[in-house]
Parts: sequence; structure tokens; C-alpha cells
Amino acid sequence: MAFLEISGITKHFGQGAGAAVDDFSLSVERGEFISFLGPSGCGKTTTLRVVAGFEQANAGSVHINGAEVSSVPANRRNVGMVFQAYALFPNMTVAENVGFGLRVAGQPAALMQARVAEMLELIRLPDYGRRYPHQLSGGQQQRVALARALAVQPQLLLLDEPLSALDAKIRIELRSEIRRIQQELKLTTIYVTHDQEEALSLSDRIVVMNLGRIEQVGTPFEIYNYPRTAFTASFVGHLNLLPVQVTDAATGACTFEGTALASSQPAPNKQAGSARLAIRPEELVLGGAGANRLSGRVLSVNFLGNVVRVRVRVGAVELSVDMFNERKLVLPAVDAQVVLSFPAHACWLMD
Amino acid sequence: MTKSRFNPWTWLWVTVATLYFFVPLWGTFDFSLRMKRGAITFLAYQKVFADPKFLQSFRYSATMGVITVIVSIMLFVPTTYWIHLKLPRLRPVVELLTLLPFIIPVIVLVFGLIRTFSRPPFRMTQTEFTTDILITAGYVILSMPFMFRAVDVGMRAIDVRTLTEAAQSLGAGWLRVLLSVILPNLRVAILSGSLITFATVVGELILADFLVRPALGPYMVVVGGGKAYEPAALGILSFGLTWICLGIIQLVSRGDVRLQPIGR
Ligand SMILES: Nc1ncnc2c1ncn2[C@@H]1O[C@H](COP(=O)(O)OP(=O)(O)OP(=O)(O)O)[C@@H](O)[C@H]1O
Ligand SMILES: [Mg+2]
Repeated sequence: MAFLEISGITKHFGQGAGAAVDDFSLSVERGEFISFLGPSGCGKTTTLRVVAGFEQANAGSVHINGAEVSSVPANRRNVGMVFQAYALFPNMTVAENVGFGLRVAGQPAALMQARVAEMLELIRLPDYGRRYPHQLSGGQQQRVALARALAVQPQLLLLDEPLSALDAKIRIELRSEIRRIQQELKLTTIYVTHDQEEALSLSDRIVVMNLGRIEQVGTPFEIYNYPRTAFTASFVGHLNLLPVQVTDAATGACTFEGTALASSQPAPNKQAGSARLAIRPEELVLGGAGANRLSGRVLSVNFLGNVVRVRVRVGAVELSVDMFNERKLVLPAVDAQVVLSFPAHACWLMD
Repeated sequence: MTKSRFNPWTWLWVTVATLYFFVPLWGTFDFSLRMKRGAITFLAYQKVFADPKFLQSFRYSATMGVITVIVSIMLFVPTTYWIHLKLPRLRPVVELLTLLPFIIPVIVLVFGLIRTFSRPPFRMTQTEFTTDILITAGYVILSMPFMFRAVDVGMRAIDVRTLTEAAQSLGAGWLRVLLSVILPNLRVAILSGSLITFATVVGELILADFLVRPALGPYMVVVGGGKAYEPAALGILSFGLTWICLGIIQLVSRGDVRLQPIGR
């Protein structure tokens, strides 16, 4: 059995309401960093709260380190939690906040002080022990909240959108900090976010959720490059979708407005008819020699720094094309006629 | 913001309000000093303090006030906490319930209390001690709107639920959460609720009168009926007491920076 075993968790809020979480099962190995990724209201927080013990599931079970915890109250699960709203105790100093869990556990003062100092060192705020939460920036408050959760050496760390109240720059800084600390302590971690960049850059594995169900579980590479459902494909990263007619379901051949296109996988429903062909913007090349070629007209060119995003109208649809920036790059002109190409292995058919 | 300070209209209204408020007060105070014809003396105050019945009734009312405050805190802090945490949908109902003392006249309350609890099986008006229990219960009900509201506002200012969960995830049980996390963050709220409760009890008339207890309210009525200057002095004294209470609230809530809402 895995270190954390979530089996068949289902949670309804009241009669008649749909399931907030529907038959959620997941095995997490010790030391793994897992992200729950999904749109607002898909049940990420609810699942996390069931694991933490703040919410009672209607069905299913949670095993932590081999022990079934359904009847164990939150304060006896030894599961650390970091909240979006920081939730530092405003009446206590930073040091008292970090030491709270140790005080509750009845640790001797000397040990507590040493541990608090160690934690403040870990979050790189060694001189802030005597401050009060309101004297800290949001980013610092969240670091302290992290230190507070880690001080009691939880067997599991849960973070619920810990960075979403912070601004972009601190968010990126702090997320690598979280990853560093997690790796240093080899801590089993579940991280809830609706920011795909965060999930992709931090996680060992991502759980993509929608409407209370798991859509797909996989490494960031798998989730991004081999999305198994239409939802995952369009939620993670940008996706171009071409309405096509499948001509050979077995080989994945199809036509788009009369142009024959090849994909390397068979059609998902194994039959000819209407389908959609999916391609990531970075797989499309202007000009180029890919097997599939489409011609269109440039609508707009957006310079985004490291990437240039070009919008091209091809027949009835608009496609996004991403090009890596380089100093010798020649940007296409708006209204210019261009040819797009992409290899067969870069695209796949969806219903 | 700074500019509006110099707005003449602001000053006009401040002046009008101040006059409205202070002129009668000054009048009463001035009157209370004129017990001796043609001189300004504190004679009325001396007489008030010289009356053993004053000190007796003040001591009684103050004691009841403190007891009421303690009972109110023990009753309303956990209740409000529980409502915020587990039954937020019930909050409007409870809020309405706590407003009942404003709607139902005290006289109705006191008759209800007497009719219910003075006959068997309770017979609570037969000894002083049980009557005091009864009157405390009445005081708790009368001060309920203030106490509940103060605690409720205090709880809304902090994120009770998340703070509770944060403490729980660190291993704290219910009592621990309430005592080390919730209560300290409600200090100002509880204090202001307590002082208003105290002031309400000390000034209360009807309950004590009908339950025949030696409280300050009935005493003031008796004095007011037969004398001229002493009631004015008493009025100023009780006003001063209220002001001291309010001053303490101000002082504490301003002095303690930690109790400000969580900063950015
Ligand atoms: N206490 C509650 N009472 C009733 N319904 C709830 C409660 N908590 C959550 N829900 C419902 O359950 C569903 C899942 O909510 P949840 O908070 O888990 O979403 P989420 O994925 O965390 O979303 P977000 O990204 O917005 O935080 C939502 O439809 C929500 O309205
Ligand atoms: Mg959430």
C-alpha cells in the first residue's frame, strides 16, 4: 500500500446537491509532490479537507502510512496544512506561531526554541521571530505559515492555493522555495492550485480534476504532451482544435476543408465521421516541411518576450502558432499568406 | 481625507452636536454643585457618599454586574464560536433571538420570571441567594444584545474557521483552540461587551425593583423622589462611570496593535 492511499472518496454537501468530490482514488508514494489542478469548484479543496480531517467523506477511505484515518480527528492526524489566507495567529509573534504546534505537543522550551530557529532559518527569515504577523508582507506571512506547519514534522503536508493571494513575482520565488524545502525534507506533499504553470513546474505528478472527478493523473510531461481527455488537453496549456472528418479511423487519417491530414494515433471512437484534431501552438511551424500543411492568412502577431504568438486564419478556424524568439527571427506581416506545417506525431484526434 | 478636516460644515455639526450633548450635562453638573445657597460645593456628592445605602446598593449592583459579565462570557463566547464554525446558517436566527430584549419590555420579562420561578417546583424568590440567581439570569438576557453583538463582530473580524483549522492541524484540541487562539483575538470585543453589560446591570431598575433586591437603580429612584440635589450628583456619577468604561474600551483597543486585523 502506498504511503497515502485515497480510495473512492465521495462527498456531497447536503441532499440533492451534486457530488463535490466523486469517487476520487489516488495513491501517493512517500516523498512525492502531487498537485491537484482544476477549475474553480472542481473539488480540490474538498478532497484536501477530507485528507486533513476537516471534512467527513460520504464514502471511501483514506489511509496514511497504512492506518485508516476516517475516525481520527484532524488534530491527531499529524497532517500539516497551509492555507491561502495564511491563517497566522494574529495574537502571537512569528516565533510563537511557529512554535505553537510544539507547545501543544508539550515539548520542552529549549527544544522548542531550537526548532523554531531552525525553521526560521529554513524559510530564510531568521531575524523575524519577534515580529507580529501584521508586520510582515504577504509573502513573508506565507513563509511563516509554512514554517509553522513544518515545525511539528508532519507526515503529510497539504497546501491549498498557498500562493494565489500573492503577486506574480513573489509567487514564482516562493514556489521554488516550497519545492526546495519539500525536496530537502523529502516531505510527502499535496499542493492545490488552479494555476497550471505552478502545477507543471512543481509537481512530480499532477492530478487534473473536473466536476469532482479525476480526469487524468500523470507527470507534468505526460499531462501536457499526452492529455487523455479533451478537458485535460484544453485546460493544461493552449490547444488548437480543427474540426475534421475522419477518413480512416485505424490510421488516424482525416480531412480538414478538403485538405488531407495525417495523425499518428487511431481515432478515439474507432470510427469515421466528425472529430477534432488537436495541436499545440508550439508544434505548428510557419513554412517548414511537416507532413501536414495548411495555408492561411496572418491575423495578428503578439510579441511575448521569449515566445512570439501568431494568430492565423485557416479556412473557418483561427490557429495559434508559437515561435521561439531569437534575434534573427523574421516576424510575419499581418495579412500575409503563410503555410503552416506540423508532423503527424504532433497532433491527435479527439471526439 | 486630510482636506475634509478643514471643511467648515464638519465643524458646524461637531459644534452643534457638542452643544446638544454637553449643555444638559453641564446644567446638571452645575446644579449638583449648588446645594448650599450662594456657594459652589461638593456637598451633594458628600451626602451621596455618606449614605450607607448608596454604597450598599452600589456594591450589590457592581457585584451582580461582574457576575453577569462572567456568565455572559461563558455563555456567549462558546455559543457564538460554535455558530460561526458549524452553523453559520443559524446566525441570523440567533441574532434575531438576541434582539428580543429590545422588543419585549423588561416588565414583561420580570413578570414572566416571577410567575414561572416563584412557584413550585422552583420557589426561587424565597431566599435571597436564589433570587440573585434569578436576577442574574434576567441581567444576562437584558445584556444579551450587547454581548452577543460584540463577540459576533469580533469573530467576524478574524477568520475564526481558518484559524481554528490551522490550530487543529497543529494538534490543538477544542479547548486549546478556544483558549489560546480564539479568546486572545477577541479580547477587545469581549471587553467592550463586558463593559456595556456591566453598565447595563448597574443602571438597571425594573428587574431589581420587582425582585426586591437592593440594587443601585431602585435606590436612585428613591433618592430622586425625595431630594433635589443628590439625584443630580448621582446622575453625574453614573455618567462618569459609563465614561470610564468607554474610555477603557478605547484605550485597550487602540493600545494593543496586535489586535488589529491581519495586515498585508
Ligand atoms: N461547505 C460547503 N457547503 C456546500 N457546498 C460546498 C461547501 N464547500 C464546497 N462546496 C461545493 O463543493 C464544490 C467543490 O468545492 P471546492 O471548494 O472543493 O472547490 P475547489 O476546487 O477548491 O475550487 P476553488 O479553486 O475555487 O477553490 C463546489 O461546487 C462548492 O460549491
Ligand atoms: Mg479551493
